[in-house]
Amino acid sequence: MDITQKALSIVAKISGKDAAALKPELELVADLGIDSPKALQLLLDLEDELGLEISDEDAAKMDTVGDVLAFLTPA
Amino acid sequence: MGRPFPMPPSTLTEALERAAVHFPDRGIAVFDSRGRAHQRRSYPEVFAAAQQAARRWVGSGVEPGDRVLISIPTSWAFLDAWLGVLLCGALPIAVAPGAAMGAAASQIRKIDGLVERIGPRRALVTAGFQRSAAMTSEAARTLSVALTPDELAAMAAGALSSPSPKAADVAFLQLTSGSTGLPRAVSISHRAAIHNIMSSDEAIGAPHGGPAHRWAESMVAWLPLHHDMGLVGTLFQSVVGGLDLWLLPPGAFLARPRKWLEHLGQHGATFAPAPNFGYQLCVERLDSENRAGLDLSNWRAAMTGAEMVRPETVAAFCEAFIPHGFRPEAFRPCYGMAEGTLALTFDVKGKGVRTRPLPHGASSSTDLTEIVCVGEPIADTEVRIVDAGGRTVADGEIGEVIANGPSLFSGYFNDPEATAESLREGWLWTGDLGFLHQGELFITGRLKDVLIVRGTNLMPHEIEWLAESVTGGGGALRSGAFSVARGAAGEEPVVVVEVQERDPEKLRAMRQEIRSNIGRTLSLPVADLVFVRRGRIPKTTSGKVQRRVLRDQYLRGEIERLETTDGD
Repeated sequence: MDITQKALSIVAKISGKDAAALKPELELVADLGIDSPKALQLLLDLEDELGLEISDEDAAKMDTVGDVLAFLTPA
Repeated sequence: MGRPFPMPPSTLTEALERAAVHFPDRGIAVFDSRGRAHQRRSYPEVFAAAQQAARRWVGSGVEPGDRVLISIPTSWAFLDAWLGVLLCGALPIAVAPGAAMGAAASQIRKIDGLVERIGPRRALVTAGFQRSAAMTSEAARTLSVALTPDELAAMAAGALSSPSPKAADVAFLQLTSGSTGLPRAVSISHRAAIHNIMSSDEAIGAPHGGPAHRWAESMVAWLPLHHDMGLVGTLFQSVVGGLDLWLLPPGAFLARPRKWLEHLGQHGATFAPAPNFGYQLCVERLDSENRAGLDLSNWRAAMTGAEMVRPETVAAFCEAFIPHGFRPEAFRPCYGMAEGTLALTFDVKGKGVRTRPLPHGASSSTDLTEIVCVGEPIADTEVRIVDAGGRTVADGEIGEVIANGPSLFSGYFNDPEATAESLREGWLWTGDLGFLHQGELFITGRLKDVLIVRGTNLMPHEIEWLAESVTGGGGALRSGAFSVARGAAGEEPVVVVEVQERDPEKLRAMRQEIRSNIGRTLSLPVADLVFVRRGRIPKTTSGKVQRRVLRDQYLRGEIERLETTDGD
């Protein structure tokens, strides 16, 4: 599994959605129901399972699934 | 245990000085944002660091009586800054530092609005906030007073005149949601704060009499310091009682609730407060495997307040954690609000969570049929239940809760009209509904339109204007937001929105935009978004949306929904 797929599986687990249905334009809060406790769980799961650090400033810019993936695989 | 306790301090400033003298071995440990590592300081070190911060605030131009906004996450930088402002004789105001994910732009608007209304001399913000604010044209006011923790630390120290505040002086401002959608700043005097802390300590009590802090060694907490339960109920409760405070940033708990429970087992006899949703989160996130190894037998008082205490959460928590040493009688329901410093009533009996059935014929604004007892008024405090005309009702009858006592606020900062509305002849009109039974209070609902989601208060206006900015409301098209209880999950927001549009495809797009707007701005998923035709939302003769009537219609299934293509 590459990092994108791992990240999608984490988002899928926390939102209760199917990973295949997680289109980049979907919004974490409005579309996936990720409220603030779930958002924090998501951040720590991404850090722990992918072995990276996400600053509060970067996290504040993540509104969509695509924003999360773009952070993991910078252009 | 059994430490001599001096006469109560008369101000928070004095409380901090005394902690350094009387409790030199105790102190505060603050965890990093992920809850992985902590840095501990003894109370003498806490006091010295606060004095150093105070000198830097003076160097940055802060004078006694000034307001200083502090909007950074839980950290030593926060504590030093807040306590430093206090030692300057200025008024600290803690502001939520923004959502964990997304919502960066709305945070800038929020802080800038506060700066305009409160006129702080300085505002302590994160470096990330400062960078984002510098990129917009909307934050000029904020940038002119903003400082980051690094910039504060680099300030030349000024001469601290060490003013000795009087007990009646305002010590700090506490933000709370106001009925117009803008936050109000509650002025809390030193006297009110100390009274509330001492009375809560007394209400918990040691098992063989005497104050609670003789019975406990530590406090393990994760509540945000911009919340009254975090600031007063954990930080100052610990400082005044000389407890070792183990402080997790809220995000560290929300991400990993087990951390809180782990630490609860490690620091001797412990107090730990949380709103109902915190206990619920522990039940939901920790399956039996994740509970292994926890020892909660030292948890002496588990305060539960800041939102409705739900019997099913209490039952589920007990079932899950009694096998790990949790004692059900540790639960201490309490009730209060920022306008009462924190607690107005407290369970003093320590017999666990007790309930009474909702009185017959009462329409509760929750789905509860069993109502949790939130205890009796704290010391020197009186609570009455009154009807709309202000007459006291009979025992067991539901009415508005009003309260009187030394813990009450001094007023809303710069808002005499709002103050006169809430504080009448010395009585605080809480806007909450409840009944008294044998001197104990039971909260059944509320008159005020606030939504309380996961322990956080939201005003309906905050949601409605986000919806109306999509429909182009402009006064002709209304919307109404309220919350409904969804079992153990607590309250969830529902928004009813009037539209002119009939095309289901366009309505679908509009729905998406409204949800997105609310999600990005408030980090709040909407449980149900209902479109109705223009004029269907009930209004008063003066045109005010009647949210409670709307909510009743919604709960009875009487709202005629417009169809959209997604069928939601």
